[in-house]
Amino acid sequence: MFSKQKPLWGKKKKLKSSYDVVLIGGGLHNLATAYYLAKEHGITDIAIIEKNYIGYGGAGRNTAIVRANQRTQHNVPLYKEALDLWPVLTKELDFNLMFNNCGNLNLLHSEAAMKAARMTIATAQFHGVESHLIDAKEAKKLVPSLNISDDITFPIHGAMFHPPGGIVRHDAVVWGLAKGAAQYGAEIHQQTEALAIGTKDGKVTSVTTSEGVINTKQVLISAGAYSAGLISGMLGIKLPISVLTIQAMVTQPLKPLLNHVVSSGAYHCYANQTLKGEIATGAHMDPWPNYTTLSTAHFIKHQAEALSEFLPCLKGLRFMRIWGGLADMTPDMAPILDGNDQFEGFFMNCGWGYFGFKSCSVAGKYMAEFMATNKCPDILKPFALKRYEEHKLMGETAALVNYSPDN
Amino acid sequence: MALTITCPICGKRNGYEFRFGGEEKGPRPVEKDLTPQSWCDYVHMNNCVAGVQEEWWFHKDGCGSWFSIYRDTTTNYEVEKMEVANNEQA
Ligand SMILES: Cc1cc2nc3c(=O)[nH]c(=O)nc-3n(C[C@H](O)[C@H](O)[C@H](O)COP(=O)(O)OP(=O)(O)OC[C@H]3O[C@@H](n4cnc5c(N)ncnc54)[C@H](O)[C@@H]3O)c2cc1C
Ligand SMILES: [Zn+2]
Repeated sequence: MFSKQKPLWGKKKKLKSSYDVVLIGGGLHNLATAYYLAKEHGITDIAIIEKNYIGYGGAGRNTAIVRANQRTQHNVPLYKEALDLWPVLTKELDFNLMFNNCGNLNLLHSEAAMKAARMTIATAQFHGVESHLIDAKEAKKLVPSLNISDDITFPIHGAMFHPPGGIVRHDAVVWGLAKGAAQYGAEIHQQTEALAIGTKDGKVTSVTTSEGVINTKQVLISAGAYSAGLISGMLGIKLPISVLTIQAMVTQPLKPLLNHVVSSGAYHCYANQTLKGEIATGAHMDPWPNYTTLSTAHFIKHQAEALSEFLPCLKGLRFMRIWGGLADMTPDMAPILDGNDQFEGFFMNCGWGYFGFKSCSVAGKYMAEFMATNKCPDILKPFALKRYEEHKLMGETAALVNYSPDN
Repeated sequence: MALTITCPICGKRNGYEFRFGGEEKGPRPVEKDLTPQSWCDYVHMNNCVAGVQEEWWFHKDGCGSWFSIYRDTTTNYEVEKMEVANNEQA
């Protein structure tokens, strides 16, 4: 930020009074949307409006886990394409995204969880995504430090193993996409806050920002977890979203001992070892909506307890850093991608919860197609906001999500 | 401690004793003339205010009361109803 070199995405430009497309939020999804709008559809008169700096939100705070073993037939193909895109984007953007496809091991702690995993695995295999059910001994072979004894709170019955998933460096994705979009002419306006969206006769006409008014016919709000509040505040469109603080932390660096992403629903805990040797580990969300992004003693304790049960060799390690960000949760754990419905020219892409990193490329690609053609791509149709009133919830989670300490 | 909540019966307590019960959305809509849209509005839709909102809480590890408070979602602090009313007038 303070270096004399000009950033990868070019020098600061003066905000113009009109653009073909305005994208509100300088996170991964809008950077990807701008990149694909320009590259695939020749739309280059784009302003990305970012209140702080690109990567300020979830884009720079996530734990960078990528995978494609979701639950339902609408979600899996989207995440599969996203997973397949990492090597492609690395080449296209000419930027090392550090895709480490070390595989994900999802621990299962009951026979019921094993049964549910069988269904999830069948869905993945049907869609050509590699995923297997393994027993506790096989899991121990993959991760020798795993505690598979039955004297822990949630003994390990088996695991869902998904070899093609892993970790991507999140900052590199921000920088690479910003560079890619800027090369085609998209403008990134940092320190610029979107304040209002102007409409006339049901059509978008303008966006008011802290740096002036922009005339435009198309605007996309994809501001991570800030989206729902902005959309309701600016246009009065309410969304089925709850915004919660979610925390993550890293330990002191260690010699290599964990070469897969390990996660556990029962322990509400996931962990992987970074290339630097730190154990990066994420926790569950605050059980009540808030925008604080504060870290809490509650989660440091929770995390230490959970890790020392299923990876007991980590006992006594020190946490080096802890941070928080926001997750915008929907009741069916699936995102909302929609456009040209409530207002002509108004698009939204949000509700990704803690899945918005792994999906950013593909969401950007299809939102770009949606905006360029004004036709919703088939793959996005099931993600429309209307699904809630039609009671066509996605079923990514077996039961409606309830924000309480029980989940 | 990130959060304390004041229960009308037990007073100010640790927030983890409580369960969040949703944004205040007014009374349950009457069954007559109920549309999928108005039901969906009541069941699922939120304002997601970054600021003060009225919301429901349940004292699950306490007296079992359901009650509503005003809280600033950007700080987690409870706010007096009077303060909210004054702000609205200003
Ligand atoms: C701790 C943590 C761990 C996570 N782990 C994972 C993971 O392992 N895998 C995964 O897939 N996902 C993960 N996520 C989720 C993922 O990070 C988010 O879903 C995703 O980054 C959100 O999309 P985005 O990058 O486009 O938006 P963000 O990066 O959140 O960007 C939103 C931007 O909008 C800006 N903004 C807000 N208001 C305005 C305004 N009025 N005008 C202009 N700009 C505005 C903000 O400054 C911000 O920069 C995690 C999130 C967190 C917090
Ligand atoms: Zn009480």
